Amino acid sequence: MKIECTIDGKALSLSVNSNKPLSLILMEDVGNRTLLCHCKGKACGNCIVLLNDEAVLSCVIPAFRLRNATVTTFESYQKTRQCRDIERAYQRNGNTPCPNCYASKTLIIESILQSLTNIRPNRVNIPMMSRPRVPTNMEDTLDEQVIIQELSLNTCQCMHMSELVQIVETALTFRRRKRVRRN
Amino acid sequence: MYEGIRSPVIHTPKTINEFNTTILRYPNSQIWAGGTYIMSQEEYYPSDAKDAIIDLGGIEEMKKITRNDRFVEIGAMVSASQLLYAGKLILPEILQKTLQTLASQIVRRQITIGGSLCIPEVRFALSTTLAILDASAEFKYYQGGKVSTHWVPISRMYDKTGKLALGAEIALMTRIRIGLDHGDFHSLSTVEDPIRNTDKCVIFAFQANRTQNSLSKVQFCMSFPTKAFYMSKDIESKLSSLTLPIHPERVNTISYELVAELKKQHSTITELQLERGRRMFESVLHKLNSKTLQA
Repeated sequence: MKIECTIDGKALSLSVNSNKPLSLILMEDVGNRTLLCHCKGKACGNCIVLLNDEAVLSCVIPAFRLRNATVTTFESYQKTRQCRDIERAYQRNGNTPCPNCYASKTLIIESILQSLTNIRPNRVNIPMMSRPRVPTNMEDTLDEQVIIQELSLNTCQCMHMSELVQIVETALTFRRRKRVRRN
Repeated sequence: MYEGIRSPVIHTPKTINEFNTTILRYPNSQIWAGGTYIMSQEEYYPSDAKDAIIDLGGIEEMKKITRNDRFVEIGAMVSASQLLYAGKLILPEILQKTLQTLASQIVRRQITIGGSLCIPEVRFALSTTLAILDASAEFKYYQGGKVSTHWVPISRMYDKTGKLALGAEIALMTRIRIGLDHGDFHSLSTVEDPIRNTDKCVIFAFQANRTQNSLSKVQFCMSFPTKAFYMSKDIESKLSSLTLPIHPERVNTISYELVAELKKQHSTITELQLERGRRMFESVLHKLNSKTLQA
């Protein structure tokens, strides 16, 4: 099956099996180095990517849902300004995730920050998103419990949950300050 | 890397009628809703089990949420996230809680209501809650080249081990209907993650009506994801006739009756799960007592 999509800013035309998981496409066909393993949908949470700017588990996204989609992996995300907020939060708190889960935890934190700040970069409307449009911050307020629920999607135990919540709070402060300055 | 594996043909019907034509022409194809369960199977990829996939993602009719005075109708392709957002004012509190505890927001965006209810072998919190809310689902059955429509109560969609038992080889869930007349006391409790710790998990949903210190319309459902989907009319009717607050000894007796019943019907449930189930059941009744005494 031929699939036209944009991965990390590059417009690609991939010839892959229609049901191949995105995580495998990224590892085998695109040669992405930030995805380390394929858990076969066991929700280890180590394969998070941004699909049309929304965080998803790439192991449960089939190739046929990628038509005209924009995929951002950690490889290109780490070069963005948004990533700098989270990196600064890691530094401020003196703790960073281990290399195995660094990419995924950072993207989960980015997803939480987007929900909290209600920032949605321009989205491309692709067939998968032809569902009724819903703002991403489903819950009006994301409390600590919800943040923990989101973060526990990644099963790596390298950091304590309270440290991660602290990092989210710090990154949120940086993100909000940046928005205020821009306004 | 995976030579010799055929790439399934993807059909993307835009309407239910188109779906009907496609499924009758390709009866062996795989019906695809959100895909989270299908893709979490060990043998999902690489495999050449299916020649074709019918992707329901393009059927707009199955993505609607409508409400009138008596019930809410939810399209089977509505995602858990959308329902949680759209249904804040119209859905019962217990259903909102169920959707929140179903998975993290990242996964909830992908989980569809129909997909979650139609998983063949595992029962999660959504089926448990909808069973006690007296929800029913509209199914299209495809048998002998004909299409027929049936409404099936969620509580009767599964056999006692929790496996999907529809009585038709090919069926499509198009929408679910939830009545708006439910009890004034709800409770949902889940112990352990049903996806990661399936063998230790217990899900318990309970609803009842409290009128003049007596219980009525009691409904409960206890799920052991891969082992049992348990509802007991017997215990429900025993509870329905009770006066509040229920004496602790009575609570204890009924909870052990529940365990005995579960043991008799489901030998695969572990002692740990039974004890968890019993305590969850007792704690709900104690909570009910404390609410009564507070009032």
